[in-house]
Amino acid sequence: MRLFRRKRNRPSPDIIQSPEGVPLTLKVAGLGVRIAAQLADLLLTLASAGAILILLAVLNLTEPHTLFGIAAMLFFLARVPYYVITELIWNGQTLGKRLMKIKVVSHDGRSLSTHAIVLRNLMKEAEIFLPGTLVLTLDATSPVASLVALAWVIIAFLIPLMNPYRQRLGDLLAGTHVIHLPQPVLLKDLAQHRVPVETEGTRIAFLSHQLDHELLVALVREGAQRVDLGLDVFHLGTLARRRHLAVPVARDEHQLVLAPPPVGGEHRPALLGDAPAAAARSSGGSPRG
Amino acid sequence: MEQTVTLRSARFRAEREADWRLLESLVTQAERRGLQRMDFASARDLAASYRRATTSLAIAREISLDRALLDYLEALTARAYLCVYAPQERLGGLVYRFFTASAPQALRRSWAFILAGVLCMGLGVLTGYLLFLENPSWYFVFLPPEMSQGRSPDATTAYLRSVIYSNDPDTTGLGAFAAFLFSNNTRIAIFVFGLGVFVCLPAIALTFYNGLGLGALMALHVDRGLGYDLGGWLSIHGVTELSAIAIACGGGLQLGAAILFPGTRTRRDALQRAGRDAVKLALVAAFMLIVAAILEGFFRQLVQDMTTRYAIGWGIGLLWLAWATLAGRGRA
Repeated sequence: MRLFRRKRNRPSPDIIQSPEGVPLTLKVAGLGVRIAAQLADLLLTLASAGAILILLAVLNLTEPHTLFGIAAMLFFLARVPYYVITELIWNGQTLGKRLMKIKVVSHDGRSLSTHAIVLRNLMKEAEIFLPGTLVLTLDATSPVASLVALAWVIIAFLIPLMNPYRQRLGDLLAGTHVIHLPQPVLLKDLAQHRVPVETEGTRIAFLSHQLDHELLVALVREGAQRVDLGLDVFHLGTLARRRHLAVPVARDEHQLVLAPPPVGGEHRPALLGDAPAAAARSSGGSPRG
Repeated sequence: MEQTVTLRSARFRAEREADWRLLESLVTQAERRGLQRMDFASARDLAASYRRATTSLAIAREISLDRALLDYLEALTARAYLCVYAPQERLGGLVYRFFTASAPQALRRSWAFILAGVLCMGLGVLTGYLLFLENPSWYFVFLPPEMSQGRSPDATTAYLRSVIYSNDPDTTGLGAFAAFLFSNNTRIAIFVFGLGVFVCLPAIALTFYNGLGLGALMALHVDRGLGYDLGGWLSIHGVTELSAIAIACGGGLQLGAAILFPGTRTRRDALQRAGRDAVKLALVAAFMLIVAAILEGFFRQLVQDMTTRYAIGWGIGLLWLAWATLAGRGRA
């Protein structure tokens, strides 16, 4: 019970308090996308280490029996600085993270410190790569060590699942978490966009959500005489009351006529009923009949 | 006719849209080319229009706007925030500052922990030494056969001497460098640091154990009258390497101490604070281990004279000490 209550009261993990005091929405990245970015990075570092190894072999700087040791060293030396330097240069993004459009941010809303980047990437060595290599290199003759390494890897993967920010151990220590990079897309302004309305002389057909005080005023100014309303007159009455409009309309009415605004008078258009014509025209489509 | 149809949201948007578009282009520019390569005017505009966008966002959240516009503003402001609050130091400057100021300062601040690390290892060496003198069979307990390269109490004095002054081309160069870097001591340094978090004990135990093996090895050689020769063989890289282990141990102890004695802070806070110096110690230790690997891989076999070995080893040790005590004094 206690747990549930705490969960409900917790602020959303997607909110970061910016120094300006405006909370910003940055969605926390899940484990899947982070693993994908990690795999891309692994491929890159492995490829670069492999390239250097081939170069060394061509230059006759290696011996067959030290080849594996040198390969391991090159992978290590390519990997550790790679993560730190790319995240420093691209402000929390390695190439893999750029590919997956995710990013490391500081948990407290301030800018990422060098310390945080170095710490979270060094911890990655201890958290994932060291036990990972142990799992891969140990054999059946030492089951205890293999199991310990395996348990270590599993715990390292479980820690992010335990907290709402999906932080791994290095993130927890460095005070960072990984987010989806938001994509700003500005759609067209619907209000400015002219919707093709059904016009027939001076008659305009409206849907209920298109009915707005300002629009009504504008239409009246434009000199519209009658407005077809695809909504229940009872609702219209409520709407009109809220907008301080006078609507002397009958209950089975589906059409209104806007009176032109009084010249020099108050800014309040009146809605007047036009009963016989409306009843004849819109009884077919109306739900009330 | 057009200007009369101005909804509140449309007016809001019309007044600010140009500024948002400008911010969007500046953000793209900053992300593509980096803040450092932007000209002064663009950088200034970025900061200014970011702040205006945060204001727009705050207003937009309060008044009812269409969802698409709100989403756009949220995303744009967040994106700009990530650009504006980016680390603004160059990589070269960072490395320079690390070596000239922050690393030696961190070393000086945590001198007590490093001293504790040295003491752990020293005690281990002493214990290993005395235990070996009492009973040579302890040697096999402290040094597993694959680590001792055949140097055991059963080996002849001539063989021990030959290992110290070997000139085998197989053990020099890149292969030896790699072999060293992944040798026992590097692993010990990593574990000693990483396991310090678990209330110091594993770090102390491992450092002590590392000292035990070293003490037994020294006792064996002193027993055969090769003490000074072994000293030379060890000191050429060992001074650097053992200091690196002591520093790694100091970093680990610092983390463990933060968990054991957090003071008035929460344990998590204390750990994060201690991590600031501990990480620097780990980096220094890693750098020293790489230097030791270079010394071992390329110099130990080249320099065969005992006195030169002493001179190089301790000379470099003195350089480390001078760097740690004197560098970065002038800065805050």
